[in-house]
Amino acid sequence: MAESRGRPGSASQRPTGGDKAVLSQKKQYFRRKKVCRFCVEKIDDINYKDVKMLNGFIAERGKIVPRRISGVCGPCQRRLADAIKKARNIALLPFAAQI
Amino acid sequence: MRIYEELFIIKPDATEEEVDQIIEQMKGVITTAGGTIDKVDKWGKRRLAYRVDKHREGSYVLIQFTSPPETVKELERRLRVTDAVIKFLTVRIDETLKRLEKRKKHREKRAQRKATAAPAPAQPSVAAQMLGTPEPLPVPERPSAPTEPRP
Repeated sequence: MAESRGRPGSASQRPTGGDKAVLSQKKQYFRRKKVCRFCVEKIDDINYKDVKMLNGFIAERGKIVPRRISGVCGPCQRRLADAIKKARNIALLPFAAQI
Repeated sequence: MRIYEELFIIKPDATEEEVDQIIEQMKGVITTAGGTIDKVDKWGKRRLAYRVDKHREGSYVLIQFTSPPETVKELERRLRVTDAVIKFLTVRIDETLKRLEKRKKHREKRAQRKATAAPAPAQPSVAAQMLGTPEPLPVPERPSAPTEPRP
């Protein structure tokens, strides 16, 4: 535990995003393990046309939410990012939104 | 032959006829090159997420088709030339469809395997739950000596 506190940058490379304490350098506490929404609900098709679903994964300004916040697994996050970028290209989602 | 999906946006001030005309033109391009149209979907007028060529709205049209790969270049060229089309996106979807099919089959097989693997132990408990009262287990008879009043 001691080494991880001294190197906050390496925390993001850890496979599980559950340990929020290291990222914020506060007292040790454990956030419950977030599960990938797509794997649990068994949604295979992350379509760029499904704007309602994609809206749940972009921030206010239109930025893609990072994996450690949304709890999405690796492969799904890649597919999600691809879908969001395609949707941005065809003006279904903004590149940069005004808040 | 690959499966593609074309989504393009037509200017909002175009009439229904013009929209249909453009769709017919594109369908013609695909069919003359030896492709088949799988489906055509008109989404109608939608608000764009950002301004495209000074427009804030547009009519979206989705065409899914199967064709040899060279057709895409010709189709995109025609879309680029058409004034009324302000944006287009071509996506190749045959690999995605294949993957989805595989996943679906996998899931169905797994569900079937689960159903056949545990029917015997599963059914009685489910039935008992549905009835509400658990079945009383038969109490084994204890070999008891005839009870006599103790002196």
